[in-house]
Amino acid sequence: MMLIWLIIVPLLGGIAAWPAAQLHARAPALISLVSLTLELALAIPLLHPSAGSWLVTFDASWIPAFGMDIRLGLDGMSWLLTILTIVLGAFAAIVSWREIDDKTGFFHANLMFSLAGTIGVFIALDMFLFFYFWELMLVPMYFIIAIWGHENRRRAAIKFFLFTQGSGLLILVSILALAFWHARQTGSLTFDYFELMRSPPGGELGFLIMLGLFIAFIVKLAAFPVHVWLPETHTEAPTAGSVILASILLKTGAYGLLRFVVPLIPDAAHAIAPVALWLGVLSILYGAVLAYGQSDLKRLIAYTSISHMGFILIGVFVFNTIAWQGVVMLLVAHGISTGALFIIVGAVQHRLHTRNLDRMGGLWTDLPRLSAFGTFFILAAMGLPGLGNFVGEFLILRGAWGVAPVVTSFAAIGLIPAALYSLLAVQRAFHGAADTKRDVPDFGLRENAMMLALAAAIIGLGVVPQPLLDIAAPSLRALVPPVTAMLRHPEPG
Amino acid sequence: MMLQATTPMILLAIAVGVLLAVIACKRSYALSTLTAGSGLFVALLGILYAARAPVTASGLFVCDHAALGFVALILLSALLILIVAAAYWREDTPVPREEFPLLVLIATLGATALAAAGSFITLFLGLETMTLAMIGLIAYPRFRPDAEEAALKYLILSAMSSAFVLFGIGLIDVASGSLQFSQLLAWVPPDMASRTALLAGLAMLAIGAGFKLSVVPFHIWVPDIYGGAPAPSGAYVAVVAKIAVLAVLIRLINEVGGTIPTEFKTLLTLAAILSMLAGNLLALLQENIKRVLGYSSIAHLGYLLVAILAAGSIGKMAVMFYLVTYSLTMIAAFGTIAALSGSASTRDTDTIASLRGLFWTQPALAAVLTLSLLSLAGIPPAIGFIAKMYIFAAGIHTALWGLTAVMVTSSVIGLFYYLNIILVMSMRPGEIPSGRLGGRLAITALSMPILIFGIAPQPLVALLRSVFG
Repeated sequence: MMLIWLIIVPLLGGIAAWPAAQLHARAPALISLVSLTLELALAIPLLHPSAGSWLVTFDASWIPAFGMDIRLGLDGMSWLLTILTIVLGAFAAIVSWREIDDKTGFFHANLMFSLAGTIGVFIALDMFLFFYFWELMLVPMYFIIAIWGHENRRRAAIKFFLFTQGSGLLILVSILALAFWHARQTGSLTFDYFELMRSPPGGELGFLIMLGLFIAFIVKLAAFPVHVWLPETHTEAPTAGSVILASILLKTGAYGLLRFVVPLIPDAAHAIAPVALWLGVLSILYGAVLAYGQSDLKRLIAYTSISHMGFILIGVFVFNTIAWQGVVMLLVAHGISTGALFIIVGAVQHRLHTRNLDRMGGLWTDLPRLSAFGTFFILAAMGLPGLGNFVGEFLILRGAWGVAPVVTSFAAIGLIPAALYSLLAVQRAFHGAADTKRDVPDFGLRENAMMLALAAAIIGLGVVPQPLLDIAAPSLRALVPPVTAMLRHPEPG
Repeated sequence: MMLQATTPMILLAIAVGVLLAVIACKRSYALSTLTAGSGLFVALLGILYAARAPVTASGLFVCDHAALGFVALILLSALLILIVAAAYWREDTPVPREEFPLLVLIATLGATALAAAGSFITLFLGLETMTLAMIGLIAYPRFRPDAEEAALKYLILSAMSSAFVLFGIGLIDVASGSLQFSQLLAWVPPDMASRTALLAGLAMLAIGAGFKLSVVPFHIWVPDIYGGAPAPSGAYVAVVAKIAVLAVLIRLINEVGGTIPTEFKTLLTLAAILSMLAGNLLALLQENIKRVLGYSSIAHLGYLLVAILAAGSIGKMAVMFYLVTYSLTMIAAFGTIAALSGSASTRDTDTIASLRGLFWTQPALAAVLTLSLLSLAGIPPAIGFIAKMYIFAAGIHTALWGLTAVMVTSSVIGLFYYLNIILVMSMRPGEIPSGRLGGRLAITALSMPILIFGIAPQPLVALLRSVFG
């Protein structure tokens, strides 16, 4: 019963926030924060040591005519991503406090609706319900970009929607084909995740089903060559939108690959693995090289996301627990570091009215705290040892080495341009001489507190990664049985 | 007995008479609408009585549960359109308003007769009654040049399609010697000549049906007529006329065991593909919402054809679910335009540009229109999402991969123009379109099923199963 409340609470928050703007322009933000705090209080206690990999499940009838149920379940991986969603959602609400002063009610309603959809994606265990939530998170996000975004927001919003919705239809076709295939084997039509896992389709049909899901998920993950929606969307969205997009929505693609593609259609997933690995390498290199050439700071961060998601793609498709642990770690760490970076860029833009690196320079003199945090999170995203992202990328490369050494080498090469663009961005933004005299306030208490919390989290993940790995481990172990049966490469170590 | 099974039609005919008398005694739009509304409502209740009659397979009407189900859908749609129209025709309209509900009643009478037709005689009678009354509905604001033009075009093209239908009926009668559907279905052509005559007759009927359903290549009239007709009449042409024609088609297909002759299968597939693509592609170029809805309806009929072609148990339910979804959504979309427009002006508030900033000036109407557009685009939480899933399921279940692929592609194309309208509504307000509280409330209430059944479709699925399953 608890799980359904995880979806209802933000929905109710959104519904309450909408008209609240008529009372006071800041009331919707307050309602968002209160409901997200409540949500966090609901979600945290769900983590407890349990025998199986599932911490808590929920089951209710929805559309029995099609064997579609409201089937929810939370395991370690879902729990981590749900917490990430709630926390970054709350930060997105906080940064919107100042940034959004127009139609705050509708904004926060959309924010909460998209968070509800995302949490639904992370806990749905009925394929159709999963797809329902998958689609549900798009429309509010579309509004957030289209109404409160920057100059080219409409174009960006349409691009975002077409890509994700178009790929969403592929998911629909795939899961319907999967369910009907299952019905032909067993005689009962169901979209139950566990039922479907029992009879993985093989052959050409299995491959096509897998391909549909694979394409849809890597579009969301924004891997090369289907990343084209990402730079524009992330750049044009308002800060809260960018935070949600980069920190949370990208993760749903990775989650889909790990939760559905790998266990549901293992044969076909293995067949596509070489392609997936090389797409991962291309994403890493392409994202890094393009990030290097950007002078729009927000765009630069967007391209680094493509690069980091390349690591995720490699990690998922080497099929071993070490890499998968790295994937979960990197998902969380990247969510935190990129979220923080978008908040910082948003703060810079709010103060200087530009995102152009050429017009920054010397920020450290005027805004020391902002610049210090900015440097810290850029270095974290780069993979500085001792911080969370490093652990994630290291584990992925470590897990991949035994399986695909060539791919791993090329992926590791990607770390060089990453260091280049990171240091260059730090240098251009924060050091050197300011081209104009600026009289703007540095980070205040609210922003400092947010940054400190995120920084503490990323240091914690880097120094003591074991607790997070322990939380995720049962979910990943549960993935192993169907996969090891046909594992073609010995597990390293 | 026969009379009991045709209760809804009889009640409707009585309502027409009563309404005529009411208008003759006292000209009052409110009274006229109320009478027509009660007539439709009583006829709806009459269905419950008619459903208990023993089914008669022969005769002029076939009033089995499926036919009565279609009649119910027609009556319900007509009732909703009447509510939309009630808010649309205002006091300052330069023509008397009282006859509009009368025309709605007459057209609905024709539509129900068509939906329950058991013979070509009732089919043609129903078709003509409906069409002639619809021409009146389209041309009702006769001070609008666009409406007159639309009505004239519809008149000429309807007459042509009626001629095709009549010719087809004649050929079939000559070949088989019967006008009853049941006898025709049991009849096997004895020789080549009568088989050719039968096929030619069926082809002519198909042309007539294709025109009314506006599938490609019989779709050319759609944009002008949807664009020129006043919004409630546009809804009527888009919804009720199509349900009635589909009702006959679907009943006939079901009676021959759900199988479509291969000669027609290829043609239907082609029409489905062309309708989906042409409808969505041409809608991209439009600047008028009513025209967009017109092209969108062409595409939606294409989707429906996919479900009809898929047949099988899922396909059958998909058709019904989609039809209900389409009706609710189209009426809500046209209803929003009706609520925004002034009937006294020479045109409706129907350019996309005129909706600029609607989210901030008329949030309720903007939300309803957004919900309808999401439903047409097939995006949750609107009911259109479930409907689209249904058709995808039918297509995949019967391995119609090609049609499913076309449907995916055209759905993505369709997103462009639906989103564009939503985007315009979210911009900074331009001039504020007027809208009355009553109309806003009515439209908002009408749109609730779109949301409710989008979240919890099971009650509707169960209802449709019990009626049509």
